[in-house]
Amino acid sequence: MSKQLGFLHNSEKCVGCRGCEMACKNEYQSDASVRWRQVYQLREEDFALPTRIFISVGCNHCQNPECLRVCPVGAYSKREDGIVIHNQERCIGCKLCTMACPYNRPQYNTTVKKVEKCNLCYERLDRGEKPACVAACVPEALEVVEINEELDYKTGVLKTLPGMPDPKITNPSIRFIGPKQGVQIRRDV
Amino acid sequence: MKITRRQFIGTAAAVTASAGLFSFNMLGKADKAVADTESKVQIFRNVCPRNCYDTCAQISYVEDGVLKKVEGDPKSTYTNGKLFLKGYNYTRRVYSPDRIKYPMKQVPRGSGNWERISWDEAMNTIAEKILELKKRYGSTLPICMNKYSGNFGITHYGIEGTMSSIGYTTRAVGTPCWPAGIDAQTYDFGTIINNDPEDLANSNYIILWGSNCAWTGIHSLPFIMKARERGAKIVAIDPILTSTASKADLYIQIKPSTDGALALGMAKYILDNDLVDWEYATANSIGFEEWVDYVRKNITLDWAAEKTGVPKDVIIQLAREYATTKPAAIWVGYGMQRHTNGGQNVRIIDALGVMTGNVGKSGGGVNYAHLETWGFNYHAMSMPVPEGSVGVPGPNGTYSDRAVNMNNFAAEVQALTDPPVKMLWIAARNPVSQDPDTNDIIKMFNSMELVVTVDSFFNKTVELSDIVLPATTHFEDWDVMASYWHYWVGINQRAIEPMYEAKSDVEIAMALSKAMNALEPGSCTYPTEGDPEEWVAKEFNDGIHSMLGISSYKDLLDGPRKAKISPVAWADGQFRTPSGKIEIRCERAAQNGLPALPVWVEELKTSAQYPIRFMTPHPQHGIHSQFQNLDWMMAANPEPVVEIHPELAAQYGIGEGDMVRIYNELGEVKIKAHLTRTTSPDVIVSYEAWYKDSPFNVNYTVKAIPADMGKLATGMDGIAFHDNFVAIEKA
Repeated sequence: MSKQLGFLHNSEKCVGCRGCEMACKNEYQSDASVRWRQVYQLREEDFALPTRIFISVGCNHCQNPECLRVCPVGAYSKREDGIVIHNQERCIGCKLCTMACPYNRPQYNTTVKKVEKCNLCYERLDRGEKPACVAACVPEALEVVEINEELDYKTGVLKTLPGMPDPKITNPSIRFIGPKQGVQIRRDV
Repeated sequence: MKITRRQFIGTAAAVTASAGLFSFNMLGKADKAVADTESKVQIFRNVCPRNCYDTCAQISYVEDGVLKKVEGDPKSTYTNGKLFLKGYNYTRRVYSPDRIKYPMKQVPRGSGNWERISWDEAMNTIAEKILELKKRYGSTLPICMNKYSGNFGITHYGIEGTMSSIGYTTRAVGTPCWPAGIDAQTYDFGTIINNDPEDLANSNYIILWGSNCAWTGIHSLPFIMKARERGAKIVAIDPILTSTASKADLYIQIKPSTDGALALGMAKYILDNDLVDWEYATANSIGFEEWVDYVRKNITLDWAAEKTGVPKDVIIQLAREYATTKPAAIWVGYGMQRHTNGGQNVRIIDALGVMTGNVGKSGGGVNYAHLETWGFNYHAMSMPVPEGSVGVPGPNGTYSDRAVNMNNFAAEVQALTDPPVKMLWIAARNPVSQDPDTNDIIKMFNSMELVVTVDSFFNKTVELSDIVLPATTHFEDWDVMASYWHYWVGINQRAIEPMYEAKSDVEIAMALSKAMNALEPGSCTYPTEGDPEEWVAKEFNDGIHSMLGISSYKDLLDGPRKAKISPVAWADGQFRTPSGKIEIRCERAAQNGLPALPVWVEELKTSAQYPIRFMTPHPQHGIHSQFQNLDWMMAANPEPVVEIHPELAAQYGIGEGDMVRIYNELGEVKIKAHLTRTTSPDVIVSYEAWYKDSPFNVNYTVKAIPADMGKLATGMDGIAFHDNFVAIEKA
């Protein structure tokens, strides 16, 4: 593998609007039962001040993808650029991958009774376009990056946030800029 | 981007639609083998017509007559090629299996016993009823229209035109949304004008005062963030720690309805510390010295701190920063004016902007809204009444329509006796979901002889109607849209053929006219023929052309245009008040029974019996009762919650996920609890919406209490939606 593509999510900029999530659905006209990308609100008690803090997660295109490891029919593959692809034609809908992924990213489509997931819009990338989620992000909180040591040495780049699964399990290709909290004048203190 | 003009498509969509075989499966990516042969993606320009700050410019992608996806139009520098989450859901609206497909009748009303009828039967039934009522009462006043913001496209004023074309009718007048703030700025400046929101990027200090733009106007955020990158400080003042407030450098949790007290406290500090821009204020306003005198004599920082719950040192910091970091912009959100003193609070904030010289400046302003780009012909609306029509008698033998207050609709309609209201015509509106006092609204509906609703979904209002007429979506229609916030205007093309038997409001008016004139020639003046594109063309005039720098509406097919007006409101110092100055002392306000000066007016307080304030602001996943019912939204946000502070929840033994009964003397609502410190212990919050297959409706406990202002500019006062006091218990 020559490189590893992934996402950089900036929680300082993200307002949790779900534009990315819906732009993904708009791009693929995906079934209501699946959410290739999902915005999560983090628990307010995990931060110094109770604010609304969000992360947006598609497939993390892990360096050690559990989905690929457990799939009994070889529906998963990893491209040269690190993108993990799921081939729905091979999928038998056994849901092993949905149980194995710590991030709940392979999604079971109840209409076609098979799994599907974020493919990092590789067709758009191959055409030189941004993934639908990245292109749609109004506060520009989401970008596609090459996951490498250089990125991890940058100040403020985090491998995980409170409430996320241990990154050691699958080595996910996602990095975060942590939330920045302002001053709050509250009435409950 | 070159726009391909629509080809007439009589195949896929139309055939499958009429056969009832349409499904979401058609929307998936086309099989490659098929895609490469004949299908060709066509691109159209659309504009989201919802009641929203952003009025997004859209590009729609159509393949074989099917709308495949919708994106933002990069030609608008405001929308910038991106939509909000709602805009990405449009294929689910257009092709929802829940859409109303044909005219239908429900016998009896409210039974759910719907039966498909033809357009002819629907129009004849309605026409016969109108003519029968006209004969029985001697006028068409028993027919009452309630229309507002379900579709803000200019041709949708054809709904008002429908009514005019049959005679003088009873009309719901006013707006539930923003009138108190409109009047406040009309008293002060002569009308509402905000700086171009793209100008927020030039600000050095931004106060988001009651605005949750992360949910309600997200395309303004990049300009705010651009200002912040340059070093501007972002302050959010809100009773609720919203998604927007969570991003602020300084968040101030103010006691609801006390915004004016905070502004007065700031004004006092600014005066005492000689931070006033006397030159601007005295040159541009009248009554400023008198107001300064009031502030000096009556306001103390201790009082402001006590009133607002904001500590004195924070008021001092805010006042000093706002007065000295220029230019400083204030965005006045609509939530803060939905109180019995809401308009007055906006007037006080206006005065704060004037005293610091921030009005009329790039990067400044007290920004509320504008209507500068709305100067269309309103051709679809402007229909003459039929000859010999009788209405409410006026001077010199003239007649007029009969106005009822949209904001007290249930009570006022039921109070009318001479003649009583017997028929409702509802379009672009969902009063059973959105009006205050839901129980009274239901009672009023049940007193009608005929209720006709034009809509796309079987919502709460349709459930209480006799006849429902299927409305087109904006992709199925020609139209033109302006925004009340940004300065762009865009054309909306018909991207796909109308689905099923849906018609636009203008087409419905034409069909009704045909039916009425067949039964009684001359009884309706609405044209009976007309091409949808021509109807749009007739809305344009020289004023709009020159404002947009176009010679014809067709120029908008190349992309939306931004109005060629100053991006800075009031930069020329020509105010539209009677005096031509900013009226800090406003005689018109005094004549309307309001304080002449921006002085403090006491807020409405909770009672011992109903000690909790229940706020019901705008939702994230919809606009009022639109969008939340769609399948993608239901998957993302399946059920409503009520946000309760853990301290309050503990008092009532309420835990996370417990059902809570929220009630007062008007009604009750049961909602699942979400414990959060984003609200304060005396305020609970649930976001208004219409969820599919859910009885949820926040308006059962909301009284039709008027806000203090609204009459001057909109005909009726607003509603104090956020002065909603309740008791709670674990359900």
